[in-house]
Amino acid sequence: MFKNHIKIAWRNLLKNKAYSVINIGGLALGMAVTIIIALWVIDELTYNNYFKNHDQIAQVFQSQTLNGETDTGPWIPRPLEMVMREDHKDNFRHIVMSSWNNSQHLKYKETVISRTGSFMQEAAPEMLNLNILIGDQDGLREINSIMLSASTANALFGSEDPIGKVVEVNNEYNMLVSGVYEDIPYNNSFNDLEFIAPWKHYITTSEWIKRALDNWDNNSYQLFVQIVDNASMDKVTATIKDIKKDISATSEEFNPQLFLLPMNDWHLRSNFANGRQVGGRIQYVWLFGIIGAFVLLLACINFMNLSTARSEKRAKEVGIRKSIGSPRSQLVYQFLSESFLVVMLAFVIAIIFVQISLGGFNDLARKEIVFPWTNTLFWTGSIFFIVFTALLAGSYPAAYLSSFKPVEVLKGTFRAGRFASVPRKILVVLQFTVSVAFIIGTVIVMQQIQYTKNRPVGYDKNGLIQIPAMSQDFRGKYELMRNEFLASDAIVEMSSASSPTTQIWSNYSGYTWEGKPEGFQEDFAWTLVSYEYARSLNLKIVAGRDFSREFASDSNAVLINQTAVKYMGLINPVGLYLKDSSEEDPGEPRPIIGVVQDMIAQSPYDPVKQGVYAFDNVGESSYYILRLNPEKGVSENLKLIENVFKEHFPDIPFQYDFVDEQYAEKFQSEERIASLASVFTALAIFISCLGLFGLTSFVAEQRTKEIGVRKVLGASVFNVWNMLSKDFLKLVVISSFIAVPIAYYVMNGWLQEYPYRVILKWWIFALAMVGAMGVTILTVSFQAIKAAKANPVKSLRSE
Amino acid sequence: MLLKLNNIFKWVQSGGQRIFLLKDINMEVHEGEFISVMGPSGSGKSTLLNVIGMLDNFDEGAYHFLDESVHNLKEKHRARMYKEYIGFVFQSYHLLDDLTVQENLEMPLLYKKYKSSERKAMVADMLDRFNIVGKKDLFPVQLSGGQQQLVGVARALISNPKLILADEPTGNLNSLQSEEIMDLFKQLNNDGVTIIQVTHSEKNASYGSRIINLLDGRRV
Repeated sequence: MFKNHIKIAWRNLLKNKAYSVINIGGLALGMAVTIIIALWVIDELTYNNYFKNHDQIAQVFQSQTLNGETDTGPWIPRPLEMVMREDHKDNFRHIVMSSWNNSQHLKYKETVISRTGSFMQEAAPEMLNLNILIGDQDGLREINSIMLSASTANALFGSEDPIGKVVEVNNEYNMLVSGVYEDIPYNNSFNDLEFIAPWKHYITTSEWIKRALDNWDNNSYQLFVQIVDNASMDKVTATIKDIKKDISATSEEFNPQLFLLPMNDWHLRSNFANGRQVGGRIQYVWLFGIIGAFVLLLACINFMNLSTARSEKRAKEVGIRKSIGSPRSQLVYQFLSESFLVVMLAFVIAIIFVQISLGGFNDLARKEIVFPWTNTLFWTGSIFFIVFTALLAGSYPAAYLSSFKPVEVLKGTFRAGRFASVPRKILVVLQFTVSVAFIIGTVIVMQQIQYTKNRPVGYDKNGLIQIPAMSQDFRGKYELMRNEFLASDAIVEMSSASSPTTQIWSNYSGYTWEGKPEGFQEDFAWTLVSYEYARSLNLKIVAGRDFSREFASDSNAVLINQTAVKYMGLINPVGLYLKDSSEEDPGEPRPIIGVVQDMIAQSPYDPVKQGVYAFDNVGESSYYILRLNPEKGVSENLKLIENVFKEHFPDIPFQYDFVDEQYAEKFQSEERIASLASVFTALAIFISCLGLFGLTSFVAEQRTKEIGVRKVLGASVFNVWNMLSKDFLKLVVISSFIAVPIAYYVMNGWLQEYPYRVILKWWIFALAMVGAMGVTILTVSFQAIKAAKANPVKSLRSE
Repeated sequence: MLLKLNNIFKWVQSGGQRIFLLKDINMEVHEGEFISVMGPSGSGKSTLLNVIGMLDNFDEGAYHFLDESVHNLKEKHRARMYKEYIGFVFQSYHLLDDLTVQENLEMPLLYKKYKSSERKAMVADMLDRFNIVGKKDLFPVQLSGGQQQLVGVARALISNPKLILADEPTGNLNSLQSEEIMDLFKQLNNDGVTIIQVTHSEKNASYGSRIINLLDGRRV
């Protein structure tokens, strides 16, 4: 029987080729989108699954409250480690202190490479369950050992055996390679951990790290833990919550709260507002999941509509079958088999679509998803997916078509009733509601990005490069390098800073000033800068003056930004002092010599933070900032700069970043979403139009005789076109009116996440409506005009 | 006795008025009869046939088929009965366009859940009996009207029904083809199949053993 059903279905498909192409093609497209989104969602949800213990691993986070605002982050003070090791050891299998992941120069013989890595405690490889390719899992035991990822080892040693070889790190110290681990795949939080060096080495490298040993106020470190198997994250969090508050008297006013953020949440639920977890990337996972489901629904609606629209053609078959003895259940079964066949074919084509487009999608979404050909879980899921889609698409046509009464349809008096097309119309409205909502959503995302991109950054980011200058080699060479670079004529100005132009690395408190309100908990973005910082950035001085080599006292001076002036409640800040509020050993008061314009250093969606630019009198610069000579070509400038650089630092790879590119990276996440959303929107509209196209051709065919009669009676092509198009246009207008409030509500909610946001304008919605109507008219017209131009003699004769 | 209708009424409501399609129909049909139902257009011939064939309901009266009271049967049960005992032949053949002759013949057997080997044998038998073996792989549109109706009759017969209901079986055929089909009916009747046909033609009616005349839903 099933074979018979499939046979009929197959012949039906062959007989109505245009219909089949629309049906299967549209469904395949919808399924392909759904499959790709599903792969993306799975990739997101399995982030960090590479680590076997991912259910037990967590990072210690801290929330602190300043002036009523709670700030949450993964930074913790050093002494916490010992307290946890001594008083809470029963809860933890591993406790691993770690530095931040930083770029370092690794040198072996003549090869110098720059790789990012961390200094971590001994248990790290075991906790992360790294796949050790060569050497030992406890390779961090010796203080001068280093473990490399496979690709790092390969870049340094090629085919040589790396174990026991000496690697020079940052030209400062020599480390012995003790192990090589498999590269950590891209969809993991540690994917840029390209080497691991021992924590105990790290704590000897610098004075300030040593000093942090018992300083509860220096929150500059990371702490990873693996809890014991029978513990729960929440329970452990409850025991460690108040450790810092209870021990450190100085921190009490900030109400420090410690908690564990499980590894499973790092990627997807890492946003915090007022100390509470408020989601994160998981929202986009949901968003795209919903988009995927909707696109599939759109494609299924096409199938339903085209199947029921052809019902009059199939009615006779139903009548005959019933009169021959088919029970209704058999017919339901038959129509479901048909939809199953269509879905199967569509699935095969969808797989081909997915395979073809996966590369492009990966580029767009910054993923490395491969098609899971050999994953049984995927195929099992696919079978469910096929059955589900077949039921979704086939259930309504099956129920509708099998309900025909044989007497009526066989007598030839069968006409789908006046209301037979109502469900069809509702489905079309649903389709276009989704499409219009997608259009509005995409346009608003793009507008928000464009709006934020047009926000003035406060400095001139074009023609500006920065060179990382963190290692010891650069100490004390700043003035020399500045003169050399200037002499090469490749640059017109240069300065240095303790953090890159597009970021803020330090936040300071502990200062008072004249008129500071009682109990005010100050917090400044703190950047150490050299002379000419403002000049090299083209950062405008709005009051006072820049640092000057002519005033020796400037070595202790600071500049503040406009927001800081308001934040501190000052009117005329120049000439006032920032005084160190610490009681023992207070530093000299720092004069405020000028006010600079606000510049965006962090998220372009957030307001600029109150900032202090303090003169760098200790030479802690991390970056050289170079303003390229506009008279010369960029590549020529870079060549000259590299030559100078190589002359002075032959053992350090020449690295640089364009500041404007760094700034543009801040938009990447949103832009990626915008481009994905626009692709999916385009597909959704295309699928909806495909359905509309099919429906129009069906209606035109059904009304051939009517159109013939009308034409004989004098109807013009326009009259007929108008008659056929009007019905559909009405539906699209209804859809628009449903979609607009929904889209407004959703997008308004989305925009609330951005303090700096575009104001929603009515014309966006109008534009989306007009766009949808335009597309509808185009789609419908093709068939309508064809029908209207047909010679009436032909259509009337065929009766 | 094969079937018996007692005081069958069928009506439709139109503007507060009942319009009777069948009015007080009483009839008995015995096995082996060949009955022709005649009457002008709109007299209720086809309605009567559909009621007998259980494709259509009636509003009042009693209908017994092989001692089962059809009016009390559930839809499912009724479907099983006509599937088992009744074959239909239509004026416009009503073959499935997407299926070949052979597949059209096979279809009723599929619904009656015959095994594949049995189906093959029965279809081959039927093709042979009607002399259409050569046409078995053709689609209905490739056949003439007479040939299509031949297939229609064969399809009605294939599951060995006790009763064949034919609604103007020759209405779309020329006189030569008509004669062939009517001869076939006669022969089937001689073999013991009960036939009820609706016809306008006196000539066709003369093949039967009895004539029932209808006018405005009433026997005359």
